[in-house]
Amino acid sequence: MKRFFDAELETFRSHLVLMGEIAVRQVRQAMEAVVHSDLSLADQVVAADDELDQLEIKIDEEAIRYMNLRSPVATELRLVIVGMKASHDLERVGDEATNIVRRVAQLSSEPPLKSYVDLSRMAAIAVAMLRDALDCFLQEDDDKAMAVCRRDAEVDAINKQLYRELTSYMIENPATTTRALAVMFISKSVERIADHASNIAEEMIYLARGRDVRHTEDTKNPNAG
Amino acid sequence: MDSPASSSSTAPGVAPAVPQSSRTETTPTLIDIQNVDFAYGDTKALHDITLQIPEKRVTAFIGPSGCGKSTLLRCLNRMNDLIDGAKVERGSIKIRDIDIYRPDVDVIELRKRVGMVFQKSNPFPKSIYENITYGLRLQGESNKARLDEVVERSLRGAALWDEVKDRLHTSGLGLSGGQQQRLCIARAIAVAPEIILMDEPCSALDPIATAKVEELIHELKEKFTIVIVTHNMQQAARCSDGTAFFYLGKLIEYAETQTIFMNPGNPQTEAYVSGRFG
Amino acid sequence: MSDQSQHLFSSRPSARRRAESGVAWIFRLATYIILLAGVVVFGDIVIKGSRTVFQSEFPFINVAFLTEAPKSLYVFEHEGEHYEMADDDFRDFRESVEAQALAAGEPAPELKAKTYVYSAGGIFPNIVGTILLVVGSMTIALVLGVASAIYLNEYAKQGAWVRFIRLAILNLAGVPSIVFGLFGFGMFVIFFGWNVSLMAGWFTLAFMVLPVVITASEESLKAVPMGFREGSLALGATKWQTIRKAVLPYATPGILTSSILGIARVAGETAPIMFTAAYVVRDKLPWQVEQAMDFFFQGVMALPYHIYVVSSKIPQNEYSERVQYGTAFVFLAIVALIATSSIILRNRLRARYRW
Repeated sequence: MKRFFDAELETFRSHLVLMGEIAVRQVRQAMEAVVHSDLSLADQVVAADDELDQLEIKIDEEAIRYMNLRSPVATELRLVIVGMKASHDLERVGDEATNIVRRVAQLSSEPPLKSYVDLSRMAAIAVAMLRDALDCFLQEDDDKAMAVCRRDAEVDAINKQLYRELTSYMIENPATTTRALAVMFISKSVERIADHASNIAEEMIYLARGRDVRHTEDTKNPNAG
Repeated sequence: MDSPASSSSTAPGVAPAVPQSSRTETTPTLIDIQNVDFAYGDTKALHDITLQIPEKRVTAFIGPSGCGKSTLLRCLNRMNDLIDGAKVERGSIKIRDIDIYRPDVDVIELRKRVGMVFQKSNPFPKSIYENITYGLRLQGESNKARLDEVVERSLRGAALWDEVKDRLHTSGLGLSGGQQQRLCIARAIAVAPEIILMDEPCSALDPIATAKVEELIHELKEKFTIVIVTHNMQQAARCSDGTAFFYLGKLIEYAETQTIFMNPGNPQTEAYVSGRFG
Repeated sequence: MSDQSQHLFSSRPSARRRAESGVAWIFRLATYIILLAGVVVFGDIVIKGSRTVFQSEFPFINVAFLTEAPKSLYVFEHEGEHYEMADDDFRDFRESVEAQALAAGEPAPELKAKTYVYSAGGIFPNIVGTILLVVGSMTIALVLGVASAIYLNEYAKQGAWVRFIRLAILNLAGVPSIVFGLFGFGMFVIFFGWNVSLMAGWFTLAFMVLPVVITASEESLKAVPMGFREGSLALGATKWQTIRKAVLPYATPGILTSSILGIARVAGETAPIMFTAAYVVRDKLPWQVEQAMDFFFQGVMALPYHIYVVSSKIPQNEYSERVQYGTAFVFLAIVALIATSSIILRNRLRARYRW
């Protein structure tokens, strides 16, 4: 049966999806700005972060209002709670994207330390994770969500590898320290983005199954030991 | 922080802000209740009630039994006139700036403009058609085409048309409880009132029927100003734009519904809406 | 072994249980005694009465008894034969006998007949009179009674005064019918100068059943859900519109139920009409009047009064007993008929205005 406030839930859901789209776009553009040393794109990313912040506030308001006035239960209740959490994660993703582009100016003033292949690969995985996590939301596909959680380890591994690599650069040639640190920060940010993606995936599993899979064996990468 | 209604200058007397989701413009005040005291004989039922009810919105009256919410509702179409010794002792109730307790006010005219739906659905034991046309026939309308048109419009308005269009001439009592209540709503809107008062319209209905009536209330506020008394706090939360909380014949707090349920200004309101008393 | 048959709910003899079955039997017995009394009374009247009303040959019903006026019965012996005939038949018979004798040149024989008043003919005027009394008085009682019930229940401000009126009405119900008879005689017959007439009888009887009608009508009005009134008023109906369209139709079946009881009472009372409306004998039927207004101001014969007269005012014998029981039987049948038709009407209305 249709209810007059079903529309509110639809708005809420679409705001969440929109927020996800924007977050993905932000991460992509941020990486593009890094790779191409595109300062104007970087500025664009910074400016667009406000959209995410506003959306987070809007989603929170909608969630609170819905919980307050519509007394949701079951799936609806989980949706509202998960929505609030996921919007927070997405907002953090946006912040990380901003953090990434803040390094662009620094990096573009000097020649690249090394090719950004690893960074790009890492970002690609993180973006894919984010995408998949959002797809899970749209399709309510919790198997895909489990996969997202497991891929987090890949990103962690690349991050660690980059860390070692960059540390060795800095030891070999202290003049690279600034750039190495910048790349390291970017890598760290991408790693955090993957973490948020993995959180969102876990939230989607909770939404679909009503079961909390955080800190359980299910979501750990079997290879990660 | 809202103070109780005793001081009319503060928040309770002010029309609540409009909920952000549905409407963006504030609607003008339609019913203006000022410092009303009401008594049944020697028993005082309402103390110094002041509140403004805006047009084309749903305003809910909540509060524990005997708090005066139904009494106030029945003041608005002077249904209390039926009770011996019941009277407004002080203050005024104005609808469109006309004091409805003025001696030159015709109660019949008032009630045509202020319809009412009761706690227990009370269709007449007549056909659905006759139920709807009852009010119009009282006014002397006998044009068949016009009556037919009103029946269809009212039943559509009450989201009942599709369910009953093939049995308009069967008894209204053959309908389910929820349908009967919607029939009563259709009957009320058939006389084209401006305001519809609802006195716990869903208290005898199951959840599905309740949801349908709430759905209907939501649709009706496009055209009518609705004042609803309810015991069911979720219902007030779901259907209303503004909520007034009464306790012991006093208006304790009147604000936007979301505020009443999210961030009530008065500890008594908070205790009531969180189910700690009442 | 007793342990084995005992369980949690097995019955244990006790004073409580004995009292229980004893009490049930006492109530049952009381009911059957009443039933027995009823069967005896009705059986007696039906058996004895049907001998008068029914007959063995076609048309099986004693038509004369239902269509003729009361006459005197002449019982006599003539030429060794036993004759029983009504006065007009006797006159014809005597004339023919005399004519025969005259033709034969003999002296007319004297027919020595015993006469028994009211023991021949029928009770047609009484039936008509009773029906007129019932219809008229119930009409008056219903109009007045329902009107005052509506006033008391719907319009009057409930308070000491209305309580006093109700008390007065209830007390009226306890007044013996003979007192109503005297009241009617003093009020209508003497004071209004209506003489012994239908009008006086109607009003006397109506006043007698008014308390029943008012009380029952009020109950019926109270039984109509408040919601109908509120629903109607909330749609902008006036009080009278509300009563007429949303209250009265639904109270009518109840009002009729009460009036059925009233009918039996009105039809059955002798005392109130004795002084106000009833004639022992009247030659003309009620519609044989010169002016329309005379209709209302004529006395009538009535069944209960007739029973009273034939059972106590004339010498008792086998012939009068036939009339007594025949009249009683017809009377019961008529009351049953009126009551049945009221019940049918009531049930129809109830089906139409059910809620």
